[in-house]
Amino acid sequence: MILALETSCDDTCAAVVDGPRILSNVVSSQASFHEQYGGVVPEVASRHHLQLVNAVTDAALSQAGAELSQVDAVAVTQGPGLIGALLVGMSTAKALASAVRKPLIPADHLHGHVAANFLEPDPIDPPFLCLVASGGHTLLAGVSDHSSFETLGQTLDDAAGEAFDKGARLLGLGYPGGPAIQRAAQEGDPAAFGFPVAMSRDPGLDFSFSGLKTALVYRVRELGEERTAASVPDLAASYQRAIVDQLVVKLERALDRGGWGVVALGGGVAANVELRERAGQLCEAREIGLKLVPLELCTDNAAMIAAAAAHTEPIPYPDYLTFDASAQAANLAV
Amino acid sequence: MATLGFDTATAILTVAVADGREVLAEGTRTPGSDGRPRHSPLLLLEVERCVEGAGGWSRIDRLAVGVGPGSYTGLRIGISTARALAQARGLEITGVSTLSALAMGVFSRETTGGSPGSGGQATRAPLPVLDARRGQTFVQVHDPRAEPRGEPLVLGPEELCELAATVAPKPLAAGDGALRFRAELESVGVEVPEDRDPVHSVQARHVCVLGEMADAAPAETIEPLYLREPDAKRWLKRDERTDTG
Ligand SMILES: [Zn+2]
Repeated sequence: MILALETSCDDTCAAVVDGPRILSNVVSSQASFHEQYGGVVPEVASRHHLQLVNAVTDAALSQAGAELSQVDAVAVTQGPGLIGALLVGMSTAKALASAVRKPLIPADHLHGHVAANFLEPDPIDPPFLCLVASGGHTLLAGVSDHSSFETLGQTLDDAAGEAFDKGARLLGLGYPGGPAIQRAAQEGDPAAFGFPVAMSRDPGLDFSFSGLKTALVYRVRELGEERTAASVPDLAASYQRAIVDQLVVKLERALDRGGWGVVALGGGVAANVELRERAGQLCEAREIGLKLVPLELCTDNAAMIAAAAAHTEPIPYPDYLTFDASAQAANLAV
Repeated sequence: MATLGFDTATAILTVAVADGREVLAEGTRTPGSDGRPRHSPLLLLEVERCVEGAGGWSRIDRLAVGVGPGSYTGLRIGISTARALAQARGLEITGVSTLSALAMGVFSRETTGGSPGSGGQATRAPLPVLDARRGQTFVQVHDPRAEPRGEPLVLGPEELCELAATVAPKPLAAGDGALRFRAELESVGVEVPEDRDPVHSVQARHVCVLGEMADAAPAETIEPLYLREPDAKRWLKRDERTDTG
């Protein structure tokens, strides 16, 4: 049984997980606080994590019907993420683990998104190809075993979710941007505006979304205030189409290379209906499986950190007392 | 029973275990060679070392943590560690003003003959001044017995001097902010002990003393004294520049 904490971005999360079984998975979202800024302000996020971390941890333990002394280890996201935010989780996890003289397991956040697939209700085992797209990351991972993954491609600039957020802000649609753009796009024509699908001619598997955002900036400027306001649904639909196109093109290219039998989608952007449909069509055409984890396991959560930790070497007391968080990748990054 | 106290509001990490006025163990860690504080990797290590030196966790019944004002990240490391230890070990916890801990250091220097001619009687008012970055200071007026008078404030050097000039009896300024603005403070007649005087560093033994006097509070109510709003507007401007650039 593992107690896990996750505070890498703007959600304060704690969970208790036993093998593939989730005993509790508590997420306290700060989205409403960051809404006014149209994005995550690091200092605001860190302050909220500190306010919430003890209550969220208590709730995870009590919902699981467990005492701290009963857990086998305390897991925590070591990175990547916002350093000030990570430090709140890391300090808390180290102190909790040391108080009960239990091991600490520092987990890689991206390994967590991959490991969400190992959890109930429908756990799958490697090998599979995993696309993780969220506000913080865009990653194509080749997963051959439980304890690691191979980075096949990643974003060179903005993350896919960031592109949604910035686009939504430019169109005055609010935050978080993914759901806002999806809602506006329902009434729009995705072919109304031509946005560049970056990297589509690049033979690699990396992503880039900053050019798309710039293209939207120029298009909005060209149209002017009135015509932009009238074209919001078309702009949103076309913009969403360009993001999804890039994700699907790279997914397809990775399948061409890999011979993977299953595709798993993770990260908050995996909630996007168009992405789900297009990935579904792609997998159907190739007669391979598509694994969609429940939404609460797509967005940042601590159950996935526990799942990654279950396949990561624990550090016994007192060796972890000097452990630190890392804004880049975790020490155990794979 | 004993109190475990620590402070991470400044660049110096300080940990102590004390029983009343008796210090059972203490430890200090200065920044690394890169000049950055080492609170995250060293706080728990120092805590375990001090507690062991003082006879083990069974002797500890109270936790006192410096709540600033000071470095936001430093404070969050200290307070989240303290809260989790209190939560997991069922300890009483109190939040202690870092400025008052500094003032307590001045008071004990004054009353133990650390300063010539003081004769065990504190005659000067401690004026703790911490460097708040961005050209500002955190400061709070204290009386000669190190009791706070007024609220902790964020002041620029000019306002700091205006305030210091009104304090009676004559203040003795301590802390990294006092060192940074030594010339300004001395120009209005405030005494600032020499740079190497220990009175400029927060000492956890004073955090313990203040923590023993304060009422315990629920762990989740122990919060940093930020004194400033998050600088979200500045952060957003930077973002907008890249947006349109
Ligand atoms: Zn994430």
